[in-house]
Amino acid sequence: MTRSVVQARDVERTYHMSGVPIHALRGVSLDVEAGDFLALEGPSGSGKSTLLHVLGGVDKPDAGAVMAGATNLASLSDAKLTRHRLEHVGLVFQRFHLLPMLTATQNVELPLAEIGAGRAERRQRAHELLDRVGLGDRLRHRPGELSGGQRQRVAIARALANRPSLLLADEPTGELDRVTSRGILDLFESLAGDGTAIVVATHDLKLAAAASRQLKMVDGRLDDSDLR
Amino acid sequence: MILQTAVRELRAHPGRTAFAVAGVAVASAMLLDMLMLAGGLQSSFGSLLSGAGFELRVSPSGTLPLDTDATLQDAVALAQDIRSEPGVAAVGSVLALNVQVEVASSAGADSVGSMVFALGVEPQVQGLYRIVDGSDLKGAAEILVDVRSPARIGDTLRLSSVRTFGSAAAASAEFVVVGTAEFVYASASEVPVALPIQALRELSSRPAEASFLMLSAEPDTDPNALARRLQALIPSVEIVSIREIVRRAEMRLSYFRQLAFILGSVSLVVTALLVGTIMAVSINDRYGIIAALRAIGVSRRSIIVTLLVETLALVTLAGAIGLVLGSVTARYLESILSDFPGLPAAIRFFVLEPRQLWLAIAALVTVGVAAALIPAYRASTLPIATTLHREEP
Repeated sequence: MTRSVVQARDVERTYHMSGVPIHALRGVSLDVEAGDFLALEGPSGSGKSTLLHVLGGVDKPDAGAVMAGATNLASLSDAKLTRHRLEHVGLVFQRFHLLPMLTATQNVELPLAEIGAGRAERRQRAHELLDRVGLGDRLRHRPGELSGGQRQRVAIARALANRPSLLLADEPTGELDRVTSRGILDLFESLAGDGTAIVVATHDLKLAAAASRQLKMVDGRLDDSDLR
Repeated sequence: MILQTAVRELRAHPGRTAFAVAGVAVASAMLLDMLMLAGGLQSSFGSLLSGAGFELRVSPSGTLPLDTDATLQDAVALAQDIRSEPGVAAVGSVLALNVQVEVASSAGADSVGSMVFALGVEPQVQGLYRIVDGSDLKGAAEILVDVRSPARIGDTLRLSSVRTFGSAAAASAEFVVVGTAEFVYASASEVPVALPIQALRELSSRPAEASFLMLSAEPDTDPNALARRLQALIPSVEIVSIREIVRRAEMRLSYFRQLAFILGSVSLVVTALLVGTIMAVSINDRYGIIAALRAIGVSRRSIIVTLLVETLALVTLAGAIGLVLGSVTARYLESILSDFPGLPAAIRFFVLEPRQLWLAIAALVTVGVAAALIPAYRASTLPIATTLHREEP
């Protein structure tokens, strides 16, 4: 029996830019289960990033509900929602957002330090994760000393630090070459195989094709028929 | 890890950090100097007066010692009366006058006449000088010279009274230099001499006068109470304790404190503006990464603490440099101000006391960290999703 990691029900999200309402999400419903590898496709501005943010508790919907287990994320205080993200959600950004003055190890240690892990435990876990993403020989390198693909792998290792049940990646291969993208894709497949639910917003057809489910977003709506 | 992150962030932007450190260092140097100035003069004045070992002064009514040229007319009888009062341990008379001096015979020095400040004292009861070389005054024709004087022990000096309009013809007498001394109240430009008070009285035709009397109280007597009691007994003169003199001097010097307070406050405002601006600029540059950190679960508190630790590191570094800079500046200013005419050279305008040092550090850190609070709080409450939307392509 599969386990639901996050559910979105009739989610609406509207932004106001210069007084003009932008309907980023219009009645979106989605179930993400453990081990899912889900690809969100769609043109820029279709609402992919907003859906990732809402699923991860980074943003709150204006209407509808996002449930993590029995918890409606909208009901959580900022502190509890932050803790939820720290413990249960891993986020990967297109621009990595690594701290440039910290080493790869220290960047991966950040969420572990935030959760209160001891120094030795942090160091060991960071090294394990960097090994897993193929950066065992880049532990003491700073982001500026790494290639784009290596930085993205550090960002993925950081996202996995606290063993999240849900990994959300926004255009994770958007700024990477084909070979590096392939490596990231392999990593996601491996993580999904281990039971991590993965939702990826992407324009990368190869990445989308490798996903267990592909969903298309158009104008804030999920296409009713799964592409697969 | 927070401290490490904060320090590395500062090191990652050496230009910006150097600018901020330099600005805060200058402001903190100014703050330290102003704190040293605010308390320095009064503490050094107090210790100068109390160092003489006499707790009370008697001077002409309405004046403080050497405030004016006024003298106590019948000082000999006055000193005897006071000496007989209970609680009084010792009374010493001092007559201070300008006299003309020239070297009458010397081993080598040329004879050049000049005006000097002469102190007529009772050698056994005085707190105005400390013998450096030779011996103290014993005979009526002996004189002590300042250590900076060109006259040497064994020289004979001719002292002449200064003739003023309507006074008798100038008198003169010769004195043998028996010792050199450091004069407690001498200014940097003065080279005073000391001689027995009776000799100066005769030289100046002021047989019973004194500029002021110095009193010491018995060990079990409160100097302030003694001053009040003597003042009630002898209302025609001014009898004040050293503490009272210091208090009055403080009132006269209050503008120094006001100046120090205003300039010290300005330096704190400059620190606040500088730190606030630098941190705001630095944080604005990092909105994207801060939003990302919030998104991955870093709490608001952690964001604020990290940014405040960064500020603290900046202010601490700048403060340390500022304290050194302030000490050097104070020393330089002191060398200028110590040449101020008429002020005892022993007076210090800038006195560094531990309390002032701690006060400067506490004020600097508090103001610096407080100035960073608003940008740090704003960073911690960023709308995460909106900021990420803006940052991501």
